[in-house]
Amino acid sequence: MGNVDRCDKTLPTNEMMYHVRRDATLRARWLSDLQGVARQFGLSREEYEAVRDKDVRRLHELGVHQYYVPQILRLFYGAAANSNAHPALEAYKRAYPEEAARSERLQAELEKRGR
Amino acid sequence: MAQIVAAMAMTHSPGLTGWFDRAPKDYQEQALRAMGEMRERVAQARPDVVVVFSNDHLLNWPINNTPEYTVGIGPEHVGPAEWYDEWLDMKQYRIPGHPALARYIVNEGARRRLAFAYLREMQFDDGVSVPMHYLNPTGSIPLVPVTMNCTVPPIPTPERAYQVGTTLREMLEAYPGPERIAVLATGGLSHEPGGPRYFWVDEEFDLWFLDLLKRGDHQALLRECTLERMEAAGSGGTAELIAWTLVLAFTRGPAEVLAYMPALAWRSGTGMVVWPQLA
Repeated sequence: MGNVDRCDKTLPTNEMMYHVRRDATLRARWLSDLQGVARQFGLSREEYEAVRDKDVRRLHELGVHQYYVPQILRLFYGAAANSNAHPALEAYKRAYPEEAARSERLQAELEKRGR
Repeated sequence: MAQIVAAMAMTHSPGLTGWFDRAPKDYQEQALRAMGEMRERVAQARPDVVVVFSNDHLLNWPINNTPEYTVGIGPEHVGPAEWYDEWLDMKQYRIPGHPALARYIVNEGARRRLAFAYLREMQFDDGVSVPMHYLNPTGSIPLVPVTMNCTVPPIPTPERAYQVGTTLREMLEAYPGPERIAVLATGGLSHEPGGPRYFWVDEEFDLWFLDLLKRGDHQALLRECTLERMEAAGSGGTAELIAWTLVLAFTRGPAEVLAYMPALAWRSGTGMVVWPQLA
């Protein structure tokens, strides 16, 4: 099946994200005390480091649900104007250069066809 | 008895409000024209309430417990949820609910062996907020939101959603009230939110899927457009189309495709569909 099946439903990071999104205090601590937030939700050292390093590929490998990964990035970079040029999206391009290049080729092709 | 008066479907990608102007001009025009057409058809149908089916996106429930369906039963729905307003570039909106109909869905569903979780206060992200922004901008049509799990494995199959849709149609038609009910599916088309193909749109899949809708043969669509096929076209996002197969059960005959755009800028195959004939 697809990428989403790599998700580990029991991973503490996946539990943490539900709470962080709903709680302004936790979101403020995300930037000032990420380690403390990670400890509070029982993240492993690997999970914490992948989050801290904004390492998209590693987050996927550890089993973070793919839907939470852009949210993790938006907590660092901000959520406004989340177009493909947003820094959160740049992290994806670094993690998946082949996929990003393929998308750029598709973009060029669509433009050529006047779509 | 209540009556179903309209059935429609549209993409709910956050780019449609959050960074709308980053797509090509003609996409913007097509999208606005199609959503304007949908709004007009809704007005013509004069619904008393709209029931919206959308992915929950891990918003209302934590990952340790993701119900297949959740009904918002409160008297008023307020969105977007905290932190999503900035992402969606949207001010707070309020839409009246329809608690009587919503609670009926939960309880009558149980009698018919369908599990609907419910929330008195529901949170809203792009799934409900984007379509309501365009189709119900003044909040004049009361809303019953029904969120679905389209993204946490095991993702329910399109056939399962169609079966639930069939039972829901029977239930809603049996609702003891004079309500005129519109049903709206949101989500899709191909996209892989947060996955390796985050920037990808599978135009070929989208056109094939829309063509199946235009043919109007439900059994053929369910046979050919499996969950595996949806997942292959963009994992964890394309399967929002199970909301479309749920609403399909309220219809008969060919769908009318108002617009389709392989909108890489909005990171989603983007489409708007209405069904002229109801089941």
